[in-house]
Amino acid sequence: MSTTEMVCITCPRGCTMQVEQQENAIKVIGNFCKRGEQFAVNELTMPMRTICSTVKTSFPESPVLPCRVSCDIPKDKIFDVMNEINRVVVTERISRGDVIIKNVLGLDADVISTSDLLRKGE
Amino acid sequence: MIKTDVLVIGGGPAGLAASIEAHKNGAKVILIEREARLGGILKQCIHDGFGLVRFEEKLSGPEYAERFIDEFNELNIEALLLTFVTAVKKTDNGFVATVVNRDGVKDIETKSLILATGCRERTAKQVFIHGTRPAGVFTAGTAQHFTNLLGQLPTKKCVILGSGDIGLIMARRLTLEGAKVLGVYEVKPTPSGLTRNIHQCLNDFNIPLHLSHTVTRVFGADRLEGVEVAEVDEKMRPIPGTEEYIECDALILSVGLIPENEIAENLGVEIDPRTKGPKCDASLMTSVPGIFSCGNALHVNDLVDYVSESGETAGKSAALFAGKTRELATVNPSDKILYIVPQSLDVLADNSETVVYFRSKEVYDNSIFRIIVNGETIFEKKYAFLRPPEMEKVIVDFSKCGLTKDSKISAEIEVTSK
Amino acid sequence: MVVSINKIQKKLSKKFGDSVKAELQGDIIRLTGSLSDWNEVVEACLMSSEKNSKVHVVNDIKFTGAEIPKMRIPSLSDSELEGKTPDVLVIGGGISGCAIARELSKWNINVMLVEKEADFALQASGRNDGEVHVGVDLAKGSLKQKYVLLGNHMYDKLCEDLDVPFKRIGQYACFTQSALLVPVWFLVQWRRFHDGVTDARIVLKKKLLNDNPTFNPNFKFAMYNGLAGVVCPYGLTIAYAENAAENGVEAYLNTAVLSMDVENGKIKAVKTNRGTVYPKIVVNAAGVFADDVAEMANDRFYSIHPRRGTNSIQDRKSSKIIDTIASVQIINKQTFSKAHTKGGGLIRTVHNNVLAGPDAVETFDKEDTSTRPESIKTVYDKQKQTVSQASERDIITYFTGVRAPTFEEDFVIEWGRKAENMLHCGGIQSPGLTAAPAFALDIEKMVIERLSKEMTVERNKDFNPKRQGVPTLNEMSPEERAKKIAENPDYGVIICRCEEISKGEIIDALERPLCPPTVDAIKKRIRPGMGRCQGGFCSPLVTKIIAEHENMKLSDVKKSSAESVICYGETKGGATE
Repeated sequence: MSTTEMVCITCPRGCTMQVEQQENAIKVIGNFCKRGEQFAVNELTMPMRTICSTVKTSFPESPVLPCRVSCDIPKDKIFDVMNEINRVVVTERISRGDVIIKNVLGLDADVISTSDLLRKGE
Repeated sequence: MIKTDVLVIGGGPAGLAASIEAHKNGAKVILIEREARLGGILKQCIHDGFGLVRFEEKLSGPEYAERFIDEFNELNIEALLLTFVTAVKKTDNGFVATVVNRDGVKDIETKSLILATGCRERTAKQVFIHGTRPAGVFTAGTAQHFTNLLGQLPTKKCVILGSGDIGLIMARRLTLEGAKVLGVYEVKPTPSGLTRNIHQCLNDFNIPLHLSHTVTRVFGADRLEGVEVAEVDEKMRPIPGTEEYIECDALILSVGLIPENEIAENLGVEIDPRTKGPKCDASLMTSVPGIFSCGNALHVNDLVDYVSESGETAGKSAALFAGKTRELATVNPSDKILYIVPQSLDVLADNSETVVYFRSKEVYDNSIFRIIVNGETIFEKKYAFLRPPEMEKVIVDFSKCGLTKDSKISAEIEVTSK
Repeated sequence: MVVSINKIQKKLSKKFGDSVKAELQGDIIRLTGSLSDWNEVVEACLMSSEKNSKVHVVNDIKFTGAEIPKMRIPSLSDSELEGKTPDVLVIGGGISGCAIARELSKWNINVMLVEKEADFALQASGRNDGEVHVGVDLAKGSLKQKYVLLGNHMYDKLCEDLDVPFKRIGQYACFTQSALLVPVWFLVQWRRFHDGVTDARIVLKKKLLNDNPTFNPNFKFAMYNGLAGVVCPYGLTIAYAENAAENGVEAYLNTAVLSMDVENGKIKAVKTNRGTVYPKIVVNAAGVFADDVAEMANDRFYSIHPRRGTNSIQDRKSSKIIDTIASVQIINKQTFSKAHTKGGGLIRTVHNNVLAGPDAVETFDKEDTSTRPESIKTVYDKQKQTVSQASERDIITYFTGVRAPTFEEDFVIEWGRKAENMLHCGGIQSPGLTAAPAFALDIEKMVIERLSKEMTVERNKDFNPKRQGVPTLNEMSPEERAKKIAENPDYGVIICRCEEISKGEIIDALERPLCPPTVDAIKKRIRPGMGRCQGGFCSPLVTKIIAEHENMKLSDVKKSSAESVICYGETKGGATE
C-alpha cells in the first residue's frame, strides 16, 4: 500500500490529490470533481496525454499548420507520435478538424488539423 | 467619414467576443485588427486547454479563436484587417479614430470605443538582465511565433527564465520539437504559472524548475553562448557565491505581461497601477465615458474563457452606452489582494449580479475573501488555497446594501490558518 | 615642449616602486614594466602624460591581471578585395571613417572604406548619447576644442543635406551651490570672449525652473548653451556611408585589416580577411584599435586606453520629464583630480526618448560592450538629482560603448611620424561625433594635397551632397501619408507597432546602398524594434520580410554578424527526411 501526491491536469483548477493504492482499488482524496479520480487511476495504470504540434505544409504563406491528436494517447508514445507528425507534409487545402494522419501508430487516435488557416478561400 | 456605433480595437478573443455581443445588442460594429487574420495571440497558442470553462472542451488556441471568428463572420460584422490605429481623438459625438491600411488613411467616427488591445511581454532589459547583446534572447511569445507560425526552431539548447504559463508551455513545445530545455528558473519562491502546467509541461519531460533563482548575466558576442544563474535571497537579490554558468544557445523569457494601454492613456483614461489596465466600473467602462476595456488590456488573465467573458460585458455595455451620468463608488482592496476588477461601481446601475475578478498577492491556504460595504460584510467565500497565478471570479449582489457614491466598499482576504 | 623624464620617473617610482619605467624615445614617452591592476596601468600612464600634449605616452606596461582579448575578426574569408589599388584606404566605418570617405568622394579618386563589423557605427559611433556638443567644457588649444566649435556650426546644413533628423534643444549644466555663481559667471565670460563659445550664458533659478519645471528645485542657477543639440549618431554615420557610396566610394563590411607590409617608412600593402590591397594612402580611423593599426605600420606613437560608458533609454512615455539636455554639476575633490569622472546627463533624444548616461569606467578590453547593473545605478543615482522623476522603471534598453581616448585626451589628427602615407585620425572620443564633420574636411584637404603630388586629382563633377533617406510615414500629415500609400500600399502595413514602421519603409531600407540584410541593420536604419516591446512582436515579421525580399531562407537571416543566428532552420523535416 502506498500513497502518492498527484496534481490533476484535467482542468486549470489543478487539484492536488492524495492517491492511495489499495489491494484491489485506488483511493483518491483532494479531487474537486470525478475527473480527478479518473485521472489518478489512469496515471497509475496507463498515463495518457494529448499532443499539440504543427505539420509542415507546401504553402509558403503558412509553412506550418497547427494540429493535435483527436484523443489522448499513452504518455510513453509521445515522441513516437511526434516522429510521425514530423514526417507529414500537407499539400492540399484542408479545414479545421480534418484528419491529417488516420489512426496514428494504431493508437486509435487521429492527428487532426486545428485551424482553418489553409481552408479553401482563406 | 465612416460612422459606427461601436469601434472595437483588437481582433483577439476579447475584441471578437466584444464585437459579437455589441452586434447582438443592436449596435453597428467595426473591428480594427492590425494583423492579416483575426484571433490575436491565440493564432500561435497551438496547445490545448482553452475553453474548458466555456465549452467544457479542451480546445487549442486556434480552435477556440476560430469558433468566435466563425460566428463573427456569420453575423457579417465588419472587420478592417491589416489596419492600424494611429490616433484616437475625443469629439462632441464620441470619438474619431484615424486608421492606416493598404487603402490609405481613414477617419472613423464612433459613439463608443472598446479597447481590446491585449498585452505585451516584459523584456530582458525590463528585468535588468545584463551582459552582452547576442542573438538568442527571446521572449516566450517571440519564440512561440517563430516555432508555431513560421515553423522555425529558435533554439537547440536553452534556459527559460520565469515560470509564467507561456514559458512553461514553450518548455514543452520546444522539447517536442527536438530542443533541449535545461531548466526553468523562477526568481520568486513560488511558480508563476498554473500548477497543471508545471506538471504537464515540466515534470512530464523531466525539466527541472529552480525556484528562488534568476539569470544574472548573458554571454556571447554573436549568438548567446551561455548564461549565469544565481540563487536569490528573500528580497530577490542574487546571493554572491551561488553563481553558476550554464552553456546554452538561448535564453527564453516568461517574466510577465503588461497590458497595452497606450491608446487609453492618450485619451486620458485612468490606469490602475495594480492591474496596469484602465480603472473600470462593473460595465467595464473606463474613467472616460464611452471608452470600455476588456481582455488582457484590462488585466492579464490566465484563462481565455474570462477574456471572452469580459469582452462580452464590454461589448454589451458599449452597445447600450447612452451617455448617462454615473455616480462611482470606489472598491478598495486590502493589502493581501494583488488587484480587483472592477475598481469602482456605478451606484445608479443594476449591481445585483456584479462579476468581480481578483488575485491574491501571495499564496494563502485556508482563507476567506470578503466584500464589506459600510462596515457590513455583504459577501464572503472560503478558499482552500489562493494563488496569485490563478485569478478568482465571484458574483456579488450589491443591490441590497443601498450603495451611494460615498459608500465605503472594501475587499479583503483573511487567512484563517497557515 | 620640454618633458622632464626624470620628474616622471620619480613620480612613478614613488607610487609603483620598480614596477614601471619611463623612457623618452624621440617624441614619445614609453612606459614599460609590469602591473597586475589595470587601473594602476591607467594611473601610471595618466601621471606620465600631459593633457593635449603632442608628446604622447605609449603604454608598454605588461598587464598581468588578466589576458587582454584579441581583436575579434569576422569569420568571412574570401578574395573580394585581392589586388585592388585604391588611392585612399579608410580603415573604420564609424563616424570618422564614414565622414572622411564622404568628403573624399568629392574628388575623382578611388576611395575604399573597410569596416570589420557587420554594419557601420556598430562600436563607439553607435553606442553614445547622440549629443552635439558646444565645447563649453574645453579650453582653447586642443584639437577637440577647435573641431567641436567648427563641427557644431556645420550640423544644420549637414543634417539637411544628409536627410538626418537634428534638433538644437539646448543644454543646462545645473548647480546647487550659490557660491559657485560668481566663478561660473567668470568661466562663462571667458568661454564666450576667449574660447569662442558664443552661446554660453547663465540662467538663474527662477527662469531655470520656470522653463524646466521638472528640474531639481534646489538648483540655484545653470550654465546654458542654446546651440547644443541631438542627432541619431548611427543614423548620421549610416547617412554619411550611404552618401559616400552614392558618390563612388567602395565600402566593405565584415572586412578587418590584419597586417601591413611597410618598406622604408611607407605602407605598401594592407592585408585583410578578404585579400590584400595596395593603397597610396591609408587613413587610420580605427577607433579603439587606432593604436593597433598604427603598430601594423610601425607608427604607434600614442596609446588608446579604452573607457566604457553605459547609456539607458527610457520609454517615450516618460519623455515629458525633459525636453532638453541637462545634468547636475557636483563639485567636489574629484572634479579637480586627473581621473576622468563622468556621470553623464539626461537627454531628450532626437527620437523623443529620454536617455540617461553615460558613466565612465576604464577597461583593458576594447570590445567589452557588455552592460553591468552598477553602471545603471551610478547614472541614476546622479541624474535623479537633475530630475527626480528619472526612473529605472521606465528603462526599455541600455547599451555600452567603449571610448577611444589617448592618455593626453586629445584627438590625434596628423600624418604618420614613421609611416609617411598613414594619416592618423585617432583618439576620437566625445565630442568626436560633433567634431567629425569638421575634421573630415581637414583630413580631406590633407589627403588631396598629398595625392596631388603624385597624381592629377580632379573634382568629382557628379558629386551630390544630398542624400534622400527612407521616408518616415508616421511624421507625415494624413494627406501626405495617404499619397505615399497610394504610390505603394506597403506603406500602409504597419509592422512595428511601437515605432509605427511600415513594411514599405523596411523594404525601402533594404534597397538603400550598403544595407546588410539583417534585423539589426533594419532596426538601426528605420527603428523597428527600438520601442517598448524591443522587437518582441516585430522581430519575426522583420525577419520574414528580409527573407522574402532577399530571396533567402528564413534561418539565413541573421541578427547582425554571420554567427548571430536567429533560427536554426525548420522544425519539420517533412517527407524528405
